[in-house]
Amino acid sequence: METETQFQVDLGNLMAVDLHHQFHSIPSSREELVKECIAKGTELVQAIANNLFNLPSTEDIEGPLVKLPPPTTRLPREKHIPKPKPPTKWELFAKAKGIKNRKKDKIAYDESSETWKRRYGYDRANDEDNVPIIEAKMTDVPGEDPFAKRQQDKKKRVEKQDKNRLQNLKQAAKVGALPSHVQLAATRLPITGTQAAPQKVTKDELGDVAGIAATATASGGKFDKKLPGEKPGKHKGKYRTVCFLPVIGGKGIHTQEQEQTDKILNKLISKNSHEMLNVNKAVNMYNVKKDKKRNNRPEKSSATSSQLKPRKNLQKKPYNKGSSKPFDKGSKKPFNKGSKRPFNKGSSNKGRGK
Amino acid sequence: MRPLDEGESTAVFEKLFKFTGNNLKNIVENPSHEGPDPNPGRYCFRLNKNKVYYVSDSLVKRATNIARANLVSLGTCIGRFTHGGSFHLTVHCLSLVASNAIHKVWLKPTSEMSFLYGNHVSKGGLGRITENIVPGDGVVVFSMSDVPLGFGIAAKSTQGYSKLDPNGIVVLHQADIGEYLRMEDEL
Repeated sequence: METETQFQVDLGNLMAVDLHHQFHSIPSSREELVKECIAKGTELVQAIANNLFNLPSTEDIEGPLVKLPPPTTRLPREKHIPKPKPPTKWELFAKAKGIKNRKKDKIAYDESSETWKRRYGYDRANDEDNVPIIEAKMTDVPGEDPFAKRQQDKKKRVEKQDKNRLQNLKQAAKVGALPSHVQLAATRLPITGTQAAPQKVTKDELGDVAGIAATATASGGKFDKKLPGEKPGKHKGKYRTVCFLPVIGGKGIHTQEQEQTDKILNKLISKNSHEMLNVNKAVNMYNVKKDKKRNNRPEKSSATSSQLKPRKNLQKKPYNKGSSKPFDKGSKKPFNKGSKRPFNKGSSNKGRGK
Repeated sequence: MRPLDEGESTAVFEKLFKFTGNNLKNIVENPSHEGPDPNPGRYCFRLNKNKVYYVSDSLVKRATNIARANLVSLGTCIGRFTHGGSFHLTVHCLSLVASNAIHKVWLKPTSEMSFLYGNHVSKGGLGRITENIVPGDGVVVFSMSDVPLGFGIAAKSTQGYSKLDPNGIVVLHQADIGEYLRMEDEL
């Protein structure tokens, strides 16, 4: 809509444009520039208001109501033009062979019931799944169920079709020409205003979730098929032992509970048997005994020989635990477990006459 | 109420073993003369709501007549299993453990009260101590009149404690009979 002052006014967008505006002189300062812009803007807004009030208005409670005409200026695209998607494998094949797509009717004639039925869906025409009798062919194996075979064949066909569809999508994704609904599903967009899109699930999180899911099975996920590379779960099986001992033991001498306690006790005692024998104490007793022997022997033997012999180990050994003596258990003399050597004073040389 | 399974049994016996050593056999195979049966039955351990009880067989038989929700306690409680699965001995097992203890410590009268309030035993409070104590051993604390006061873990060996300064800790407190008054609610 042009006015005398040659402003272009687009009432649908409530926009006014002055196409022939020129800055006559470069304004010297920022404030002057601002002033000029505001002045120009005022004229434009005035033009919009004039045109608005020229429109036919209806009366409303709050005032005159005006229906704006549709906008005339085209706004630019927000998103890019969709890229042409690469042709699918079938499309390539059809083009090569020259196969044209023929339009089919929704209704088809069903031979068996001699009526017109829909071509697909519930109660369809020429339905291959509902035949009552399948004639045997020469190529049929005797033990095979032809109905089951048909079902399996169909399943295989469907799987193959699905695989092909995915391959086509992958090809399109490589070029960047995925259909928009698939693109949205692949990269979930965050809802504006909320936090950022959730990150990809990490390996550890996946493992945890798999473990939680495993507890839903009766055996706690112990026998679940694992993918290649999947590590076994941290908590294997159920946490609890299902079978407890009976509360009251049965009659007889050895009930199950007694057996269990005996087993555990023996294990404990044998594990700590090295502490039963106080090794240091036994060693010291042995050494003291040796000293006594050595003290008694010099009395019997000649004086010269005793003076020649180097006197060693004549001081009493200090009795300290964890002592500096490098006594390792592998080389210990054969003591009896738990029994102390008879420490008889003065009888030590009774059987050892020299 | 149910008997302990293997893992739980091992944990209980290990804790008891620290205090009693080989005398653990006496505890487990104690003949009990309770009940009408002329043959002495044995004592056994039962678990009820995370607490472990030391009960005679005849008592257990009768306790099965009480519903689980209503059964509060039976026999002597010796300890409890924590939420994390570890076993702690409580003061109730003192009489049982004290009669079978191998490592003992006697306190001077002056420091008895301090121990009964939950403090550790310092060197100055020690009266007598059995020999051959390794740090980490379970130790039963007696008063000079041979009254068991509680138990704890040895912090030093019998020789090592002579090198300590007079305020050094010898026995780390675990349980004492003063808890019956102080922690009446929690026991």
